[in-house]
Amino acid sequence: MATTTKVIPQRRRSWFALMRSSPRTAIGAVVLSIIVLAAVFAEAISPYPPNQQNLRNRLQPPSAEHLLGTDHFGRDVLSRIIYGGRVSLQVGFIAVGIALAVGGLMGLLAAFYGRWVDSTVSFFVDVLLALPGFLLALAIVAALGPSLTNVMIAVGIANVPQFARITRSAVLQVIEMDFVTAAHAAGSRDQRIMFKHVVPNSLSPVIVQVTLSLAGAILAAAGLSFLGLGAQPPTAEWGSMLNSARPFIRDAHWAVTFPGLAIVVTVLALNMVGDGLRDALDPRRRD
Amino acid sequence: MIKYILRRILLLIPILLGVTVIVFGIMFLTPGDAAILMLGENAPQAELEALRERLGLNEPAHVQYGMWLVRVVQLDFGRSTRSGRPVTGEIVARLPATVELALLATLLSIAIGVPLGVLSATRPNTAVDHTATVLAFGGLAMPVFWQGLIMILLFALVLDWLPPSGKLGGWQYYVLPTITLGTSAIAAITRMTRATMLETLSQDYVRTARSKGVRQRSITYRHALRNAMIPIVTVIGLQFGALLSGAVITETIFSWPGIGRLAIDAIRSKDFPVVQGVVMTFALMYAVVNLVTDVLYAYLDPRLKTRYS
Amino acid sequence: MRKVLLMLAAVAFAFGGAHAFTLTVAQGSDVVSLSPHQTNDQPSARVMRQIYDTLVIQTEDLVLESGLAESWEQIDATTWDFFIRPGVTFHNGDTLMGSDVKFTLDRLRDPATAAPGAFLVGFIDEITLVDDMTVRITTNGPFVPILSHLAHTATSILNERAVTDAGEDYGTSVVVGTGPFSFVSWEVANQIVLDRNDDWWYGDVGPERVIFRAITEGTVRAIELEAGAIDIAYNLEPRDALRARQNPNITMAEIEALTTAYIGFNAQKEPFDDVRVRQAINHAVDAETIVDVIFEGFGFPANSPISSMVFGANTDLEPYEYDPERARQLLADAGLGSGFSTTLWTNDNPLRIQIAEIVQAQLGDIGISVDVQVLEWSTYLNDTAAGAHDMFILGWVTVTADADYGLYALFHSSNFGSAGNRTFWSSDRVDELLDLGRRESDPELREAYYFEAQEIIRDEAPWIFLNTQIEAHATRANVTGFVPHPAGHNRLYNVQKN
Repeated sequence: MATTTKVIPQRRRSWFALMRSSPRTAIGAVVLSIIVLAAVFAEAISPYPPNQQNLRNRLQPPSAEHLLGTDHFGRDVLSRIIYGGRVSLQVGFIAVGIALAVGGLMGLLAAFYGRWVDSTVSFFVDVLLALPGFLLALAIVAALGPSLTNVMIAVGIANVPQFARITRSAVLQVIEMDFVTAAHAAGSRDQRIMFKHVVPNSLSPVIVQVTLSLAGAILAAAGLSFLGLGAQPPTAEWGSMLNSARPFIRDAHWAVTFPGLAIVVTVLALNMVGDGLRDALDPRRRD
Repeated sequence: MIKYILRRILLLIPILLGVTVIVFGIMFLTPGDAAILMLGENAPQAELEALRERLGLNEPAHVQYGMWLVRVVQLDFGRSTRSGRPVTGEIVARLPATVELALLATLLSIAIGVPLGVLSATRPNTAVDHTATVLAFGGLAMPVFWQGLIMILLFALVLDWLPPSGKLGGWQYYVLPTITLGTSAIAAITRMTRATMLETLSQDYVRTARSKGVRQRSITYRHALRNAMIPIVTVIGLQFGALLSGAVITETIFSWPGIGRLAIDAIRSKDFPVVQGVVMTFALMYAVVNLVTDVLYAYLDPRLKTRYS
Repeated sequence: MRKVLLMLAAVAFAFGGAHAFTLTVAQGSDVVSLSPHQTNDQPSARVMRQIYDTLVIQTEDLVLESGLAESWEQIDATTWDFFIRPGVTFHNGDTLMGSDVKFTLDRLRDPATAAPGAFLVGFIDEITLVDDMTVRITTNGPFVPILSHLAHTATSILNERAVTDAGEDYGTSVVVGTGPFSFVSWEVANQIVLDRNDDWWYGDVGPERVIFRAITEGTVRAIELEAGAIDIAYNLEPRDALRARQNPNITMAEIEALTTAYIGFNAQKEPFDDVRVRQAINHAVDAETIVDVIFEGFGFPANSPISSMVFGANTDLEPYEYDPERARQLLADAGLGSGFSTTLWTNDNPLRIQIAEIVQAQLGDIGISVDVQVLEWSTYLNDTAAGAHDMFILGWVTVTADADYGLYALFHSSNFGSAGNRTFWSSDRVDELLDLGRRESDPELREAYYFEAQEIIRDEAPWIFLNTQIEAHATRANVTGFVPHPAGHNRLYNVQKN
């Protein structure tokens, strides 16, 4: 199927051009950068330590002192959101990292060796896909016990099939290309071909999937924390902040509203970037 | 066509068997002693041992799995360790509430998502299109649990229009959960409809039709939408999986008496048989929906039809 | 139609002066089972209390009255005869016999039943029938609190025939008792319907029908009460209770519960084996703040391991004063002036997690760095029973309202580990006092033993004594006659609605 005209590297657009051609992607990227920077420099920019209680100052509405108000322990909501971003990004990256490592390797091996390796991997992927992702993650966390580490593992595993699939099809396209055939003919070892030629040329769709999966992973992890199965107190994490602020929703909606907005904005930014990348990198979608 | 459906059903069996291995494996690897969970912390050793023996907890893993599978195939998931009720009965009692909610949310997402996507695609880069896109992106980024809380806050607490939760009869109780659950599906379907419509509208036969003077409305709905339906149907099928996942959280927030909330309650109280039963039920529902989607897909795609008829 | 209704109303009015009404009650959790041998949780007990009777009744004032046992007689230190009330009928028409009582208690004790409430009758050695209506219970040692144990919902009397016929379905679709209400239906995860038992042996029953609803979300439970969709809401969350107090349409029914929240030390592990460290931490934790912040004032700082409502509670004990200076001094005396690091375990109960967060911050003030770990329930119970912990949060409900129940399991050296004493702290004198209390039938002497035991426990501080709790039940203003029970399973037979 694949023809040499579809070789991606030569036609890869520059990052800058992508930003210029798609304002949506640009906005997403800017917002995302701000979130990442805030998470990295949380100590420097957050007005209060995230877990500092001030019990005389509970459930205060937003004010000059506390821009986003305080929660039921008098903790500064803004500071906790900033630190929460660090947790969410970490969880997202590690979970996707797990999925990428396991799924990517599975897809690579399946496509490269074909035959029984391929059918085994494909079967495994089909089985995992038979369970909706969040439910799979939920079941795994239920079994491993509630903790942030277990959430990363669970969300990671739940994302394995997507990466296995995408890597497999990307690699399949690349393998049939001339330069791979040439390398085989030249007697290169499997591993060398795999990592020198195949992997770099199959990256584009995988990168897109990473961005989109990050958004999904952050949502899923926050969901598990919301159900009390993820981050444990006093860790500032968006989902668990929402959960613990629930009983106070009638008195202090800000403790519920703002952590939720933080999730929306982050996921939105990731989706916009991912969408833009897909349009830019997916040859089928290019005009 | 029938041959195709049969083939798909046959293919489903090994997959579902694989799922049983995962479901059993997850629960089997769980730390904690099921006997202690059932009898409580103060139970004497002899009682614990008797119960372990009765439940087969002392058998090796593959024997336990075998015993379990034989029962599961007969739709017997054992009894809830918490309530002592048969798990199957408990699921059957609560399943209708979940199916109701999932179907309503699906209908809502199709009813809003498809027209909105078509509208967007037929007027690309207009205010309508941009608004729809923004809404869709927002919908996709909205965590179910947050949206549920905000809806309760707004429509039940501040405006006092709708009941905050529960399912105590009356349509009012359906509104908030359905919208909450349906939002991300609305967004996904809008996006997919827009994308595929744009693609089909730019294709040769549509251009031909247009040049032949076929009316725009007829082009959009008779030709383009029909062709665009194939990927849209797929997305609806896939969204159903997301919907089942969302049901777990939606039901928890709105105290909806379905199997999603049952799953969370069971997880919290480590009620393994119920967790296993619910997860298998979800897998089965998802499989059936995907099967229906595939069959619809085959029905809509003439190429597939000719291959299997 | 309207005419008929009017006539019916008139008839109802002429009949006993009250109208027929349905009472809707909401609580925070689903009922697990309606078999007292299947579960021992509060939401289930609250429904079972309406369906079943016990041999002995513990009133809302914690007085023990005769129930299905019309009277009883202690033959010797370990032998009790219970004379079963004649003429009591079960909801299925059967007449209550001594054999039903023997069957019930034997089934509860039987390891094969695996009843979570079995420990409540752990004192029973043998049950025999003296005659049709006389049940003899032999205890495996002198056991004075026997009557309060036989008043617990877990010891509710079942109908032998109904239980045997229903098999494993008993408690879900088949539920038969002798109580003020009979079981009608159970819509899983939604509601349980009970109807008035017109032949109740005890007397008249107010509500014609009672509906129990599970509304898990606290805020929603409060809103439904505010809107008048339910008549009684159990356990309003503190925030909602504050609001309800201001609402003219709502009458609060607040009651101090029999629960004490505490943080236990591992008294055999360094540095908690040093009493000064334990005392220091007691001085460093401000229970007043915990009550104010987490319970919004719905509770009291605890001065002893048992709530003041319990028989034998020493209400004169001085609680540990919040005094960080004193705490630092005690730590310095123990050679830990520069503080130390430790862990605090809790299960995933939201209130306990909040307590842990506050204690973490307060101990941080005196240089103790606390790592809060949330453990899954069964792991939590296992590991605290094995003594793997430093500090842990638990609560104890002295359901029988007798000091024996509140102290013996938690502080007797024979109960180390899973039996209840998870602090592994013991004192010879306390052991002796608790054993004496079990044997002594003179209430004044018993009280004296328990007073002394509590004083020693307070001084030795194997716990951080946190707080007792006020349960904030609430009714619509037109509901009268609702009297909450300190043990939580409120009786509803006397409730009226105007």
